[in-house]
Amino acid sequence: MPGIIGFYPFGEGRENWDASRFLYYGLTALQGRGEACTSIALLESESKKINIYKDNTHVEEFYKRLSENKVRGFIGIGQVSPNEDDGLIEVKEPIRLVLAGDGKPGYQGNRVEAFYKLAQRLSTLLTEREDPLDAATQIIKEAGIGFSFVALTEREEMICCRDPFGVKPLEVGAVGFDLGIVSSESAALDVVGAVHSGPIQAGECVVFDPLSIRRRNIPNSESRAYCAFEYVYLARVDSLLNDMPIYNVRERIGEILAEEKEAEGDVVIGIPETALPFALGYSNKTSIPVKLGFMRTGRHIRSALKPTQFERIMGVQLKLNPIKAAVDGKDIILIDDSVVRGNTLKNTVLNLRRKGAKRVHVRVGSPAIISHCPFGTEVPPIDELIGRALSEEEIAEIIGADSFAYLSIEGLLKAIGLPRDRLCLGCFTSEYPNKEVRK
Amino acid sequence: MKILGVGSGAREHAIAKKLSLSIYNPKIYWIGENKNPGIVRICMKSGGEFIQGSTTDPEVVSSTAKRFNVDFVFIGPEEPNFHAVPDHLERLKIPCIGANRSVALIEMSKAEMRRLQWEYDIPGKLLFQTFKSAEEAYLVLEKYADSLTWLQNVALKPARQAGGKGVKVVEDRQIYLHEEKQKFKSKHVSWLEGYMRGYGDIEDKILVEENVWGPEYTLQCFTDGTTVLGMPMVQDNKNAHEFDIGTETGGMGSISGPGMCLPFLTIREYEDSIRIIGKMVSAIQDKTGKRYHGVVAGQMMLTEVEGPTIIEMYSRLGDPEALNVLHTLKTDLVEVCLAIIDERLSKIRLEFEDKAVVVKAIAPKGYPDNRSLAIGHPVAVDEAKVSEIGCELFWASCNLHEDGRITTAGSRLVEILAEGETLPVASAQIEKAIPYVKLTDGWGLFHRSDIGSEALLKRREELAERVRRLYLYRVEKGTVGKRVDWLPGVGKVDPVSILKNGLRR
Repeated sequence: MPGIIGFYPFGEGRENWDASRFLYYGLTALQGRGEACTSIALLESESKKINIYKDNTHVEEFYKRLSENKVRGFIGIGQVSPNEDDGLIEVKEPIRLVLAGDGKPGYQGNRVEAFYKLAQRLSTLLTEREDPLDAATQIIKEAGIGFSFVALTEREEMICCRDPFGVKPLEVGAVGFDLGIVSSESAALDVVGAVHSGPIQAGECVVFDPLSIRRRNIPNSESRAYCAFEYVYLARVDSLLNDMPIYNVRERIGEILAEEKEAEGDVVIGIPETALPFALGYSNKTSIPVKLGFMRTGRHIRSALKPTQFERIMGVQLKLNPIKAAVDGKDIILIDDSVVRGNTLKNTVLNLRRKGAKRVHVRVGSPAIISHCPFGTEVPPIDELIGRALSEEEIAEIIGADSFAYLSIEGLLKAIGLPRDRLCLGCFTSEYPNKEVRK
Repeated sequence: MKILGVGSGAREHAIAKKLSLSIYNPKIYWIGENKNPGIVRICMKSGGEFIQGSTTDPEVVSSTAKRFNVDFVFIGPEEPNFHAVPDHLERLKIPCIGANRSVALIEMSKAEMRRLQWEYDIPGKLLFQTFKSAEEAYLVLEKYADSLTWLQNVALKPARQAGGKGVKVVEDRQIYLHEEKQKFKSKHVSWLEGYMRGYGDIEDKILVEENVWGPEYTLQCFTDGTTVLGMPMVQDNKNAHEFDIGTETGGMGSISGPGMCLPFLTIREYEDSIRIIGKMVSAIQDKTGKRYHGVVAGQMMLTEVEGPTIIEMYSRLGDPEALNVLHTLKTDLVEVCLAIIDERLSKIRLEFEDKAVVVKAIAPKGYPDNRSLAIGHPVAVDEAKVSEIGCELFWASCNLHEDGRITTAGSRLVEILAEGETLPVASAQIEKAIPYVKLTDGWGLFHRSDIGSEALLKRREELAERVRRLYLYRVEKGTVGKRVDWLPGVGKVDPVSILKNGLRR
């Protein structure tokens, strides 16, 4: 689930562009996809060497530390990741290349190890095949499903691939007659002033070189398994994913929640940031007014993604201070985006009660998370997943809510607007798009 | 009947073909810098001849015309117009379809074109400013850099038409990326100054224009100076690469139809555009006292502030846009030419087949920025296979040698055309033909697979819809053409009246 980005200039004066600033703003826009590790690689115009910079920190801090070095480069790629020591991957031989990857390809080992194997194989293929497009096609055929990547070689090629099922996103944009930009999310393209051209298709590879952009789809790449969790949680609400605006999906989720699991209440409150559009949808459907229930303190922390339990709870306490005036004496329909272990929600309900909330009905804009993700999104061990262990009634009791309900799988499909066989719903169903998926 | 054509690209191949199909059954003669195998074939079949020679030397063209005693000359590209080839032919009483040098100024000088448009107050204008040096341009661009006036969101162009090169669009609207963009602007204006040193025929060197956004289209028209007859709208794709990325080219492919409008534009926008082009023709004739005989085209965009807006003018058919319109033209092209020559174009009714047409150019790697890399590669094309697939191939920038070999000449190598019920159908058809165009020395070719595709069309439609909403709102509010800027410390400024006052001085 990291965020990846690639920057590639064309034409007269292409060496004059400074890729690092564009990567900075692009990665900042992608930070919701991970902030434990930031890395960039820049290809220098004079030496044609790639320099790599990597640090276990978020983008802002990374660039603050970086500014002491004099970094230069006109082509570049970058990555933000939710895990430490999960930065750009470098292969030195036979062709030196650097790779930014999202998801996890079908090689043995953890995410980093699997992408390292992919990068090594790609480097070898690039020497074996005369046409880099052939090498890229071959890697898509070999590397299983569940990944997107952008690789930069010292031959000035930028190779972008999306797996045959399109599990992970990859979008393309352009600036004027000069720049091509590839990014996990379209919102990052907006932020750097690019015009969004559309997605790289499932099973498609796109090769940038100084004189051309060429693309190819592997044959029979009609299967799809878009990650459903992207629609619910991972992607930014201002992004388009596979041509679908995330905002529309999330507002529809709220509407469908209201239809499926109606509750009685005075106000609808969404837990910032992800659940806010769910709350709007719920409110639109029921005409129960939506209120701002919480004020955030500190930087935006995506609480489901913090590595330790302690940080998770601390994150939520820091971030979510209930606004007394909005909740005091009210029956509240509280909307959350997803429930993993349930601890953060327990805290939130407690905090609301202390500020005077009467009834608290919790509605969740996604189905229960009951299984792992084979494609690199960190999900806690299954015995820690509250949705797997307990019923909705039991969860309500534990978190201290008056009622608790998830969005149904059918509701989710309806909100996304795709049939079941076009999505990966593995974390909600334990059924994965291909039979040989690793445990 | 005998006709002499001028030029040797795919556009000229398409013109030659259309002329040869006339009921007049003309003998086709041609002159071009490169020996275009397609044109050579048409000449031979018709009993005419292909001459390899300069198309910009009036003496060479007119002596060729006299030698073959042709009934008229049809000029394909713009450079012969800029070099007064039509003027010379006119003096020798040889009829010519081609804008004379005076009226071709609307294409040759982008700055003069814009000045003319403002002077005659013709709709579809853009704010502009011209400069004689890079330093002068840079000072103005920098002066109010942090105020977000129109000068922060500009197209930087060579003031003279210069082979479609050197246009950069710099949208400097994100304050946080300002430094990068400012550096880039500064380097590009310097580059433009150097580049324009090669052209001594014009005083202005650098043109800075207001940058606009919206769907682009080309509207090509025949004119005899009085009547302006429009052809179907065509959309060219200027970016070199897939996803609308990369350098500006002469055009990587074009779409048209079905019908006179593009699927994402309206008949009202078509009619407004024709009116604008007609006014430009009247204006340039009024200004120069010369008649306009030939083709005039607006390379246009539907914009928020002005609606149908002129980006540039052409004094000839577009390439590849010519291929789209000539393919569906049902009226005899020779008949049209004769009507232009006799100035009775108002009597002609142009008719077109109701088909969707897609054209895609295939270019050797190196085009358009590193042409030296793109020259001299041996070509192998299976023309039989291409037509078996249902496509038509037009030869573009290449050379046919004595021994029958064909080599690349640096620009687009061939253009492939397909028609269909819809644009995506035609686009997919061309993709099947692409593998039959090859270079035998292993050098790479590229084309844009996305032209005419469902996905790209959808984006164009969406873009047009967004712009149209804004434009129509301005129509309703009566604010078409109105711009206002704010300069802290100076106050509210109206760039339109500043520009008009400047022109009056």
